[in-house]
Amino acid sequence: MMFGLFFSLKTFAAAMDPRTDTKSQLGAPLRIGESCTFRSFRTNNYKLHFLESPSGIKIVLNTDPNAGDLRDNLSYIYGLYVEYVMKNPLYTPGEPFKCELFLRNLFQFVKTIGL
Amino acid sequence: MPAIYALYVINKSGGLIYNKEFVVMASNNLNDTLRLASIWHSLHAIAAQLSPAPGCTGIELLQADTFDLHCFQTLTGTKMLMVVEPNTPDVDILLRDTIYDLYCDYVLKNPFYEVEMPIRCELFDSNLFQTINNVHRRWGLLH
Amino acid sequence: MFSSPLYRLNIVDRPLAKGKGEVSLSAFSFLFSELVQYCQTRVSNIGELERRLEDIGVGVGLRLLEILCFREKNSKRDIRLLDVLKFVHTSLWKYLFGRQAKDLEQSNTAEDEYMISDYDLFVNKYISVPKDMGALNCAAFVAGIVKGVLDGAGFRARVTAHFVPVKGQPKPKTTILMKFDSVVLAREHRLPSL
Repeated sequence: MMFGLFFSLKTFAAAMDPRTDTKSQLGAPLRIGESCTFRSFRTNNYKLHFLESPSGIKIVLNTDPNAGDLRDNLSYIYGLYVEYVMKNPLYTPGEPFKCELFLRNLFQFVKTIGL
Repeated sequence: MPAIYALYVINKSGGLIYNKEFVVMASNNLNDTLRLASIWHSLHAIAAQLSPAPGCTGIELLQADTFDLHCFQTLTGTKMLMVVEPNTPDVDILLRDTIYDLYCDYVLKNPFYEVEMPIRCELFDSNLFQTINNVHRRWGLLH
Repeated sequence: MFSSPLYRLNIVDRPLAKGKGEVSLSAFSFLFSELVQYCQTRVSNIGELERRLEDIGVGVGLRLLEILCFREKNSKRDIRLLDVLKFVHTSLWKYLFGRQAKDLEQSNTAEDEYMISDYDLFVNKYISVPKDMGALNCAAFVAGIVKGVLDGAGFRARVTAHFVPVKGQPKPKTTILMKFDSVVLAREHRLPSL
């Protein structure tokens, strides 16, 4: 369900984009990084931040609705992923991962955001 | 620079009943706009379901690379969407207080308007334009 | 709010003299909107709709004549045409809209036609008439009230409401046209001039 939500939100954002004149047809597959995509949405009791990497990895952060723009933090987390997961020789890309180093650094980082 | 691109009103079953663009923008054709409205309607509901905490009423603000979308849902389930330039301030207040007021006055009090049907009210159009123009003027977009 | 003795009184037990006479515009507008919609369900054309609104107004007008004469004229009512017109233009308008009507004039073409015109009557404040309804003016209801007052005072007349576009104004003004019966005019001529 979450994947569906993001997929549709991406389609929606690309179609809604008020600046790009040359939009592909509604519902046509979008290439990553090519069109306008969504960064976050906020509801009355949570805020969801979203980052999609060039390879299609999606990083999602659920926070308190009052949190500000967390894009830099998301890219930092993406950096952690690259460092500790992708560079781990024992990891097969595409599989769920359980890397202790990644987890430890992630927790540490989340604490420093201080929400 | 802050700017308001467009206003959409979606009825409680997900149908688009009003759309108006206020500046020149890359717009969709009517069919796509109708589809986007119903997509938004379901996204709104799904986001409420996915909430980690109970009592979520749906998306209020969607931020994308080139626009912010504010969504205000009335108690009866009508949604008002406003597409604005990223980081435009006070749009939620504008929607909740001013635009909703105009909707109540010039649409709901008009005997020739049928509830849930597309909005075709001259007075609503003219007053809406005036309001948006005033806001734009305050931001220094118009002189 | 119910502690004041006024509120304990049933509405029919209250004295007839000056009421506060203030109603929320929203409440009125919604009620009026429903009234128009109700009328709309049982008519087949615009003329009929206007007539229905007028008929409802007549009832209001008859009652207003009574209470306004009681309050402001010591239970007497005017018998001269001009006095009655002035009564409509001032007293009635003040009671209904909180101010006098803008203009009261006699038609250039016909002796028996008089017009009261006013801008933005609040019955029309929130109403956008769709294009296919053409010249419909919901102030037909106000025309009905005026007709009720005139009929009740013994001045039979045909009263209609029209939109009249004005140069330099974005909104048209509403004109209430009163065409009096020949009987009324004949009687007026018989009476000594003022």
